[in-house]
Amino acid sequence: MSAFLASGPNLGRGGIGAWLAGLSSAGKAGVLAIEVVVMLVIWQLVVGVFGWINPVFFPPPLAIAQGFGELVSSGVLAANLPISLQAWLIGFALAVVIGIPLGLLMGSVLPVDRVVGPIAWTIYATPSIAYQPLAKAWFGFGIGPVIFLVTISAVFPILLNIAAGMRTTNTSIIRAGRVYGANRMQLYRSVYLPSTVPFLFAGLRQAVVLATIGMVVAELSGSSSGMGAVIIRAANTYQTDQAFAAIAVVVVWSVGMTQVVTLVERWVAPWTRKGR
Amino acid sequence: MDEEGPLMTVTSATGTMRIVRPRRAIRAGEGKWTLLLIAVVLAILLIWEAAVSWLQLVPAAFLPPPTAVFASFLELLVRPDFWTAFWYSLQNLAIGLVLAIIVGVVVGLAVGWSAVLRFTVAPFLWLLYSTPKVALAPLFILVLGLGSESKIALVFLLAVFPIILNTMEGAVTVSTSLVNAGRVYGVNGIALGWKVIFPATLPYSLAGIQRGAALGFTGEVLGEFLGGTGGLGHMLEFAAYQFEMAEAIAMVIVMVIIANLTLGLISLLRKRLAPWYDDRKVAGVS
Repeated sequence: MSAFLASGPNLGRGGIGAWLAGLSSAGKAGVLAIEVVVMLVIWQLVVGVFGWINPVFFPPPLAIAQGFGELVSSGVLAANLPISLQAWLIGFALAVVIGIPLGLLMGSVLPVDRVVGPIAWTIYATPSIAYQPLAKAWFGFGIGPVIFLVTISAVFPILLNIAAGMRTTNTSIIRAGRVYGANRMQLYRSVYLPSTVPFLFAGLRQAVVLATIGMVVAELSGSSSGMGAVIIRAANTYQTDQAFAAIAVVVVWSVGMTQVVTLVERWVAPWTRKGR
Repeated sequence: MDEEGPLMTVTSATGTMRIVRPRRAIRAGEGKWTLLLIAVVLAILLIWEAAVSWLQLVPAAFLPPPTAVFASFLELLVRPDFWTAFWYSLQNLAIGLVLAIIVGVVVGLAVGWSAVLRFTVAPFLWLLYSTPKVALAPLFILVLGLGSESKIALVFLLAVFPIILNTMEGAVTVSTSLVNAGRVYGVNGIALGWKVIFPATLPYSLAGIQRGAALGFTGEVLGEFLGGTGGLGHMLEFAAYQFEMAEAIAMVIVMVIIANLTLGLISLLRKRLAPWYDDRKVAGVS
């Protein structure tokens, strides 16, 4: 993040921009923290104190904190969060179990790639929400369609990234491996695998975000429990503070799981860009 | 989705003579694979048909055979209410997307270019980008009602962030030497933005638009699921609710076609408007 902030062609011409870019990473984090606090204070003032925006539609931070307290104390969170997390984890695990072997197969066998690839792309290009009514009709009302939607949202980024990683392995490294007498197994083990792992984790990170969207979509329009159902119930009864609090919980989950993937990558594959 | 896009097609970054011949060779090989693909798809359809209507392993009400799906697909195409729903959805999607493109490119260029804005605004944009904003859909319907407005707003909200962030990424990666060359030739201010930064950023923006279009589609359909007064999403949900599975699957196929055509159109634009860029280098934010 800080590397991104301090790059670009328009730097070093004096002024605040140059000063900001020249800060140490601790200084940058400090500036960002101050910004977040200022933003929250402005939000609270505009909505909560001055009332320029109807707080029902856009509740101020303190009200959202209060809504979170209500969700906890009424037991709604404790009743619904585990259901969502369960559906998410099962769906994601299924996506990993299906996606990784199929991706490896696509990457190593050309006919499989040329047949499964276009079909997977066609399904992946369509937002998974389109499959939701079918899932609801087939699996009934409840956790079934949520798991289905999480899986179908998460499987394609994993699968397609692995296949792309295998296909884009640097040919000169492969040739070098052959020159040194590596057999097929050794090539896979020490050439294809290390160069595919970054793609795998990029796919997993995309999959986390898409799986969360899939979960929320499925629960919003086809489940009586789970965080999506909490959000829609709170919104329909004009308790938007609770709705925002529930959304915040989903955001924390999504960001947290992305961090978990990055941590695992750092541990398993320290040679990649994110792993460093 | 952005970075792998080109892998399914033959990349032709530059139109030099060198590239032309191997491309032909690849095309010839690709034809064989297309045949194989068609054969496999036909085989799957045949097995499906056999399992449902001849062997009756699955009840046809649950999973109608492909012939029934195809029949209801044709039936849809002559139904006037389908076309009303179709244009309703597409219109909302188009309005929302156009707004998102205008706002996204302008904001993305400004934030990507100015170091101060990048510092103050970009972190919040990243935060909003990584938020599953579909969760806001019920609130939009609460505020804007059941009509087109809530859907357009939802399309805009979901589509704008990938466009902003990709444009921003593009503006940041514009080569300094291009900018300096522009300055040497006396191009400054708005002209610099229009003549140097914007074209150099275009492929990134288009990658963002591609992603934004997919998310906008999600927004439109979700809006119709939740506050159904019209549109394809409403029709699909209604068909599934009535357990008319042949019609529901046909509707899903319609959506698959729309989504893939939209993405295809944008990749075509990408090749047309920015043929000098190697797609693979434009990784973008996904």
